[in-house]
This record gives sequence, structure tokens and C-alpha cells, in this order.
Amino acid sequence: MRSIAVALDLLREAAARRWFLALGLALTGLLMVLLTSLRLEVVDGALAATRLFGQPLYHDIQAADVALRPVFRVASQVVFWGGLCFGVLSCADFAPALLSPGRIEHLLSLPVRRWELLAGTFLGVLALALSGAVYASAGLVLVLGAKTGVWTAWPVVSAALAAVAFGSIYAGMLAVTVWVRSAALSAAAGASLIVLGLLATHRVALLDLMGRGPGRALFAGLTAVVPPLGRLADAAGALASSGPLAPGGLVRLLAGTITFSAALLAVAVWRFDRRDF
Amino acid sequence: MPAAFAVTSLHKRFRSRFGRSESVALDGVDLEVPRGEAFGLIGPNGAGKTTFIKCLLGIAHPDSGAVELLGHRPQDPRSRARVGYLPERLTLPGAWTPPAFLASVARLKGLRPDRPALEALLGRVGLSEALDRKIRGFSKGMRQRLGLAAALVGAPELLVLDEPTDGVDPLGRVEIRQLLAAELARGATLFINSHLLSETERICTRIGILSRGRLVRSGPLEALTAVQQRWRLRFAPDGPAASEALVSLGFEPGEGGAWEIDAPDPSALNRALDGARASGALLVELERASRDLEDVLTEVLAAGSA
Repeated sequence: MRSIAVALDLLREAAARRWFLALGLALTGLLMVLLTSLRLEVVDGALAATRLFGQPLYHDIQAADVALRPVFRVASQVVFWGGLCFGVLSCADFAPALLSPGRIEHLLSLPVRRWELLAGTFLGVLALALSGAVYASAGLVLVLGAKTGVWTAWPVVSAALAAVAFGSIYAGMLAVTVWVRSAALSAAAGASLIVLGLLATHRVALLDLMGRGPGRALFAGLTAVVPPLGRLADAAGALASSGPLAPGGLVRLLAGTITFSAALLAVAVWRFDRRDF
Repeated sequence: MPAAFAVTSLHKRFRSRFGRSESVALDGVDLEVPRGEAFGLIGPNGAGKTTFIKCLLGIAHPDSGAVELLGHRPQDPRSRARVGYLPERLTLPGAWTPPAFLASVARLKGLRPDRPALEALLGRVGLSEALDRKIRGFSKGMRQRLGLAAALVGAPELLVLDEPTDGVDPLGRVEIRQLLAAELARGATLFINSHLLSETERICTRIGILSRGRLVRSGPLEALTAVQQRWRLRFAPDGPAASEALVSLGFEPGEGGAWEIDAPDPSALNRALDGARASGALLVELERASRDLEDVLTEVLAAGSA
């Protein structure tokens, strides 16, 4: 499938960009600092020992996996929101570069269908987002696992959720670029979708504050279709920290987010198929 | 011979963003190019040459008309898999090396990238010394050569080249001409759009002239440049013929000691030659007078604007 070839080319192009090299180095540096300087002492069995010898109990001593929950929750929020913002900035010009004069003509003269070009670009960016998020979260799990002996895969799963959320943002950026080839506009579309996603999280409360009118109707319409990113971030945090999730809630959130992405991609393909270059 | 491509009644208009104005890029173009031929499309800037190529390859959608590319619609990947295209301004990935770029083109063409074959291709276009260099450091001529190498990946049946020698130095142009001649000998069809008429003349055997979106003249190069009734002659310089005698027979002095004469048919030509020989002139050279493509283009455009 030629989409995979397009996606791999995008990853090769990204590997040569300073943005992504800087991100990789920064994440690696941060993980190395954590690995070498974090002072964690795991004192399993301490409670039993104090009881045995009749010493006063330290009630704030917790099991290591419980103590790490807030750490994983915060880390998942950093990966989620930091990833979205970094992704919007660093991936804004992939699609405009693909559509640049002299490049798109050459690509369209090759035996690649137009939808395959767009799908390949989307898949490449999604793979980039996923690898960044998984690298950061898996690195943190390894560092904390080595220090505390607590091993869990849930922070990595929650990072995948961040990549799915970014997929919905990037689908919007791609659709805008197919209309107007501009990296700035693409980034603006991404930023707008993040803000709308935050507003959609508090949709009901915000609608209660609004008076009737076209503004309220517009807000209600927009926030009805945009994925509620805050709820996705909360779900990612809950997953990472082994917290409780509403039954079926995550599945519905994911289904809505994927449907939103697919709809925007379909609009982008429809427009791209009809455009002259 | 089957056609490499056939275009029938091709129309294309461009509208401004808000539909305030529109311009006609192609106005009913009909053209068929047989396989194995070298066809050159010439015309002034804005004549619609690049738009024609884009419609031919499915990069732009014609408003009406039919395009058949190697037996299929241009949108069909099966046809484009057998085409090599060099756009007028090719944008290349600056961070890549030439072999990496060609490997990407090969993959997108559905071929397995073969590093030695790709390096040999880069050698054919004169880039064997730049295999490990990043493309961003390439000169315009080197980029053009790399674009040509990309067009040649997979030995395509049809080569569509938009200004192939643009930015290439004179020696490089000779190399590119030789390379295109080799492709032609292999059996490939060449379709070249160039504003360098002398280049087109040297490579192509058939020419089409596009003006204001219409194909105003098309045919074999010799037929387009020939002047039907005019002949160019050269007499032995030490012959006894006097210039006055030749002039009285209808001969006109041409460039470089040559003579020219208008003869509507072979009988008239032979009568004039008999008269010249009778006056002592010794014929050493006879050819049909011809013009270069620039003259033809100027004449066609002048006729179109009159």
C-alpha cells in the first residue's frame, strides 16, 4: 500500500528536522536526569517492622505503587497537553510542504492515488505523535520501575490515548491545508481545535451561562462535534494512575474522537480529489 | 503505431478565487503522439503548455475533453506507473541524499529500490560525484539533473519533460540530449515542453505550437520549417558564371555565397538550373530552403495576432 510508503517518507523527513531531534534529545536528557538524580527509597515491610518492635507508626508511609499514582497522573497530563501543543507547532508544515508547487505535481504524476497521499501524511504524523508519546511515557515507566520495582504498562496506554487525541487535531489541520496551503493557518486551526476541545469538555456548564441566540447555537453546534479533550486527558490520567473509569465512557470517547477524525479526513480527501495543482 | 497519448477537444479555464474573472488556458486542443516519437510543444509564455501537461497527467482536471494516457485514463495509476515526469520547478527534499530521493520515487512507483541501479542512474545524469551530498547544497543544474534521474526511474514508456535543460550549463545540455537520444533508441516516447527552441529542434522530430490555448500548428519538424517553393543552391566559386546572368534567370544572392530561387514545381526548378548551367555555372549543392523554429513560431504568432 502506497500510503505506508508516503508515511515512511514523512518519518524520514521528520528525522532530519531540528524540531524532532531537539524533542528526542530533551526527552532523553530529562529521563537521564530522573534516572541519575531521583532519590526514592522503597521501604516495603517497614510498617510490619515498626509494629513488631513497638515503635510509633508512620501513617503517611504508603505502598510504592500507590505513591506513584499521582506521579503517573501528572506525567500523563504533561504528555497529553504538551504533546498536543508540540505536535500542532512542529507538524503544521508537513502538509503545506507536501502540497508545495513543484512537489505535489511530481507526487501526483506517480502511480499514487490522491487519497493515498493524504492518508499517508496523516498516518506518518500519527506515527510520529505516537512514537514521541510512547517514548516519553515508556522511558518514565522504565526509570520509575528501576527505582521502585513497580512495573505498569498503563502510562504507555494512556500515551496512546494522547496520540489518538492529536490525530483528531491533525485531521482538522490537514483539512484546512487542503483548502489553503499555509503552515500558519494549519497551526491556527490546530490551536483552535485544542481550545474548542477544552470548551467542549465544559460544554453543559458553559451553555447554562449563555443566553439564547445565534452565538449560543453556534457554540452548541461546534462543541457538540469536537472531541472533549479535557475528558480525554482525564481518562488518560485515570488510566496512567490505575484510577477508576466510567463504564463504557472511554469507549464512547474514543469512538467519538475517531469518528470526528475520519469525518475531517473524508472532507479533506473530497476536496483534494477535486483540486487542480 | 499505437498512441502514447491522445487528447481530444481539451478545454480548461481557470477562475479567480471568488469567480470574478476567468482565463482560458486550453481551448479545444486535439493531439495524438505515437509511441516512440520525440514530440516538442512550443509556444509563448502563458500559451497553456504546462496546463496541457498537467491535464495529460491528471494533475489538473480538464473542464471538458478526453485524455487517454498509455491506453488508460490519467487518473488510473496503471498509466502513471509507466510515465516519467520532470516538472518545470521540481521541489526536492533538501535533507535527503540523491539515492534516498530516488529510492523514495521507486517505492512510490511500486518498485523495489535497487541501490546499485539507482547509483548507475545518477551516474547517467552526471551526479555520480554527489551521491552522499545533501540535496539542499545542490545547484539549479544539479537539481534539474536529479529531477531527470527521478523521471527515468523504472525505465518509463513515456517521458514528459517540462523545460528539461533549464538551468543546465551548455555541456550538461549536450549530455542531456545524448541521454534523451538513448531513451528514444530504447523505445521511449518523449514529450518535451521547452522555451529553448534550438534544444527542441535538436531533440524532437515532431513539433506542436500552442498559442492562447489552441494548437495552431503541428507536424514533422521538416515540414514545419521547410519553405515549399524556395530552394537554396551553391555554385562552384571558380565557375565562369556571372552574377548578372544568374540574377537575370531569377536567382537571388543568399547568405555566405549561396543563391536562392523560388520554383513552384520540379520542372521550373530544372529549367532554372539548365539556364544557370548554360551560362557556365557549376552546381555543387542543392537543398530546400528552410527556416528555424524561431522563424516558424514568430510567423505563426504574428498570423494569430493579425
